[in-house]
Amino acid sequence: MSDVPPVITPPDGDGDGGGHGTAVAVPVARFDDPHLQEFARHPARTERVIAVLLVVGMLAVAGFGAAYWVSATPWVLAVTFGAGLFFLGFGLTAWGKYLMPQGPFVEDRHTLASAPEEQDALSAALVQRTSVVVKRRRLLGGLFAGGAGIFGIVAIFPLLRSLGPLPGTSFDRTNWRRGTLLVDSNGRPVHVDTLEVGGILTVFPHGQQASDEGQAVDQTILLRVSTDDVTTQPGRSNWGPRGYLAYSKLCTHLGCPVGLYEQQLQLLVCPCHQSMFNVLNGCIPQFGPAPRPLPQLPLKVDASGYLRARAGYDQAVGPGFWERTTK
Amino acid sequence: MTIANNAPRTKREAQAALGPYGRTSQAVAELDERFGLAKGGRIFLDKIFPDHWSFMLGEIALYSFVVLIATGIFLTLYFIPSTTQIIYHGSYKPLDGQRVSEAYASTVNLSFSVRAGLLMRQMHHWAADVFVGSIVLHMARIFFTGAFRKPRETNWIIGTTLLIMAILNGFIGYSLPDDLVSGTGLRIAYSILLSIPFVGSYLASFLFHGNFPGDAIIPRFFTIHVLILPAIIAGLIGAHLGLLVRQKHTQFPGEGRTERNVVGSPMFPTFMAKTTGFLFMVTGVLGVLGGLAQINPIWQFGSYQADKISYAVQPDWYMGWLDGALRIMPSWEWTGWGHTLPWEVFFPAVLFPGLVFNIAFGWPIIERRFTGDNEMHNLLDRPRDRPKRTAFGAAFFTMLFVVFGASSTDVLANYFHVSLNDVLWFFRIAVFVIPVIVYALTWRICVEMQGVIGVGKRKRAMVVTRTASGEYVAEVAEARPDDDVDELHPEPVPVLIDLGPEPALPPRTSPVDGGVGTAVRRVNR
Amino acid sequence: MFVRRLLRNRYVLPLVLVATIGGGALLAFASAGAAGAATGVGGVGSGGGVGAGNFRSGVALPPGVGSPSYLGGPKDSGNANSSVRHYAKVGGKRQLVSYGSSSILYKTPPASYIPVGAALFAQNCSSCHGASAEGSPVAPPLLGVGPATVDFWVSTGRMPARSTNQVQAQRKPPLLNAKQALEVAAWVNSLDPAVPYVPYPNLKGADVATGADLFSLNCAACHTITGAGDALAFSTFSPSLHSATAQQVAEAIRTGPANMPRFTGNLSDAQVRDIVAYVTSYIQHPTNPGGSDLGGVGPVAEGFIALLIGVGGLALVCFWIGERS
Repeated sequence: MSDVPPVITPPDGDGDGGGHGTAVAVPVARFDDPHLQEFARHPARTERVIAVLLVVGMLAVAGFGAAYWVSATPWVLAVTFGAGLFFLGFGLTAWGKYLMPQGPFVEDRHTLASAPEEQDALSAALVQRTSVVVKRRRLLGGLFAGGAGIFGIVAIFPLLRSLGPLPGTSFDRTNWRRGTLLVDSNGRPVHVDTLEVGGILTVFPHGQQASDEGQAVDQTILLRVSTDDVTTQPGRSNWGPRGYLAYSKLCTHLGCPVGLYEQQLQLLVCPCHQSMFNVLNGCIPQFGPAPRPLPQLPLKVDASGYLRARAGYDQAVGPGFWERTTK
Repeated sequence: MTIANNAPRTKREAQAALGPYGRTSQAVAELDERFGLAKGGRIFLDKIFPDHWSFMLGEIALYSFVVLIATGIFLTLYFIPSTTQIIYHGSYKPLDGQRVSEAYASTVNLSFSVRAGLLMRQMHHWAADVFVGSIVLHMARIFFTGAFRKPRETNWIIGTTLLIMAILNGFIGYSLPDDLVSGTGLRIAYSILLSIPFVGSYLASFLFHGNFPGDAIIPRFFTIHVLILPAIIAGLIGAHLGLLVRQKHTQFPGEGRTERNVVGSPMFPTFMAKTTGFLFMVTGVLGVLGGLAQINPIWQFGSYQADKISYAVQPDWYMGWLDGALRIMPSWEWTGWGHTLPWEVFFPAVLFPGLVFNIAFGWPIIERRFTGDNEMHNLLDRPRDRPKRTAFGAAFFTMLFVVFGASSTDVLANYFHVSLNDVLWFFRIAVFVIPVIVYALTWRICVEMQGVIGVGKRKRAMVVTRTASGEYVAEVAEARPDDDVDELHPEPVPVLIDLGPEPALPPRTSPVDGGVGTAVRRVNR
Repeated sequence: MFVRRLLRNRYVLPLVLVATIGGGALLAFASAGAAGAATGVGGVGSGGGVGAGNFRSGVALPPGVGSPSYLGGPKDSGNANSSVRHYAKVGGKRQLVSYGSSSILYKTPPASYIPVGAALFAQNCSSCHGASAEGSPVAPPLLGVGPATVDFWVSTGRMPARSTNQVQAQRKPPLLNAKQALEVAAWVNSLDPAVPYVPYPNLKGADVATGADLFSLNCAACHTITGAGDALAFSTFSPSLHSATAQQVAEAIRTGPANMPRFTGNLSDAQVRDIVAYVTSYIQHPTNPGGSDLGGVGPVAEGFIALLIGVGGLALVCFWIGERS
């Protein structure tokens, strides 16, 4: 900041030298000075008030004990506990504020820094001893430093190799394969008549509906829309039979489940950061921070009328990461 | 047998043998002989604490931490850090028969089945919110009064580290119950780790032991939350207070206050009574909040399951600014050469907080570069006397506050019945515009306030008298001895390091004195 | 000059502090209260990108209602093929009057309601929806939507709408009472009979735990886990569930009003009943053992309280303890 403020010395004196002026010498208070003992205008009355505060606190704390003993509801516990401690503290603080010596007392502040000679002595000791002891034994110093350095590097290894597995390609995989049956969270397969237009269902690969991985990675949102409204992306003409569209439920922003479907606006909205995806054109983001469309799962209807995956996802689902290949 | 011979025979003799102050003398003597603490103890009792109210803000944080430790110990007795799935059978009906994790079930049980368990849990949570809040407030006081300047830069850095640790431990503690809302927060944290270029997927995989969610994170977070971070925080608080005692308090300029003294009330008994009382009051307020204001009702949320989600999930307030930054960031992702760089996450959630905390850490150094001021400072600045610093701080805090506000776009849109998208756009623009306005406004106000004559001075009373003829005459009362003292003017900075003679500047009339006298305006190096 | 005088006053700072904290706390509690209550307050400003034109696509039921339930799943999925069916002769024609299961019975309003319904429709609805419910540029056609749809919109007070400029109609005290709503539904249904009929959930034997589980899977993503509702894309919003009746909750699930998805084949009657039981019990009357629920809007309100009452209140205590000059 270039605006150093004006430092103003009072006109009436810069008495005690050293460049820092004391305008008025503050009397150094002594504890036996009767004028400094009590600040209250009416000490007796103040004492009575404080006594009342402490009694209230005492009673409330005792009440807390009783409430705890009979296992009262939380709000009774809270009021007795909180009021008890608050009033005890209130009384003690008021005692300190009104009935104890206030001063102002002055304490001198001593410079932390030592005299220049002492500083020099330390520097001298450091430099001289180093040159005498270490510089003459450079080999030993180097060997020890090398050993300690290697240990320092080795000490990091447990952090890298034991905490968790290497990620490998685990972020690219899902359990969706060609022909996988779509099931809901109870494991029931999804028939082509299950949803009506405007309906929504969270589906999983058959067998994964209760697994951590299935819920965290494979979760897929199944929607049924009117086929007239759909703008099919190139190469996806047969991915949405009978108006059924399936998209990864993991937001491409941060991986929250995109479970919020507005069926008139035809938007999937992420409940975390409000990214909005247009379900009719392949879930291209319309608004918000999500950078990529939700990956679409190609669907087909099997001979008995159940929905199956035509293939797995053609890209990694969920948020972006360094190794994610462009799609 | 000399001992026996010298043994006191009467009660009075026994008293006399103890020393002039009875048993206290004896105890002090015994302790002093072993630890040599008489002299230091006396100095400690005489230690002076400034009385200004703003010096107590840090105490709110300290005592919240005490409450956090106390309630936290209670909670560890009942919490089970495990993600093992069990079937809940407890007193809360809507969860009966549901598959939940042990961590979740134990948190619900300690809330409902342990006496005062809910009170303790809610106090713990409120204390965490208040802990971080009071740290920020305390930090603002330090910043705006320039208390971070030499020799206290190290304590500023320790304090900033404490803030980061408090936020981190708050988030980790929030995640422990493994409920739907905190689980969503964990999912986001995992994705933020993923977004870091080159190492992101490794970091995420190592911390969570594989893919999200895994079984490792709750037990690991438990250890971090109850052992590692509290130990670090306690250690840093010790260093913070130790440095404070060693360097002594700063103080506002004023009557008799110089760079070379501390004016206030002594450690014992005055400050001791006030601060102990305040500890009780902080605990009391947190206790009342803990039972009257429900916080984080996890039984309503249910156990975390990765395919479930609730709308309107925000993190606790101190993470809100990161959430807000994530919301207002446009969707800029770089892809190419087989790699992806998700700026839309990496910038707001990693670079932005990094930048904010680096500015905070480096502020004493940054400011010194501008002012070239390498002096010792024990007297504080009034914010108005440093318009640029004050304006910068106000703008910086405002920027963070706007980003924080952006984390509740949905709540605001719902409350004011406006379009969610418009609210988001408002914040995208406001985050740049409002801080600039605040900077200009604050600077102007500071400069104006410098010009106000006699701000904060004691008012001279008017004495109204009635003359014999019945007229009323108003006169200014007789001056009191200290009325003419310009008590709010900062003391000149002492030259503790002699850098040679100062350049002489022509004397100027101070606008602040209001013509009472002349003052020398001296500009420091 | 005034500002300067103000700045000189030593009471300004404490007053501003008290006012900020007190006002903030009031605001926080007020907003909490308002968020918790059912709001019929204020119109949604016309804005965002959703005009009245979008209003059309949603309400009309597509063909395909009453198609056979899928194999392997529950049979009582809220359509006309549910387990219990009752027919009656209406005007010489055999017509379905009720269907459903022991969990939810779907009934069409009696034919005797039709004449009064016609009059009520002409008086309250026809100016927008047309004399024979054929729709208009500002309002969708109501032919073939089923009585449950009509009953939902009228009994929640959303229809008649306050204005056609609203992006989304809000719940408000209904203009027509419960019987009149059924009468309108009876007349509209007589034009083009369709399901779903008006549901009568039987909450005896409902399992709130299953309801809670299904709620968090299917409903919480929009209505929030506490049922408080929140703002959605553009100016749409998910309404609070705190004042909906059991019947209205069931109607909304089965008909998907406005932007809400329709839950038909994927939720059985028993499951809908469980959700209804959970909403009308623990969502609408949360136990809140920990004190005031602060509006059920989560950390936003909690942060407010922590900062204003916690930090702010304690700062005021500091202000009392310490010196102020």
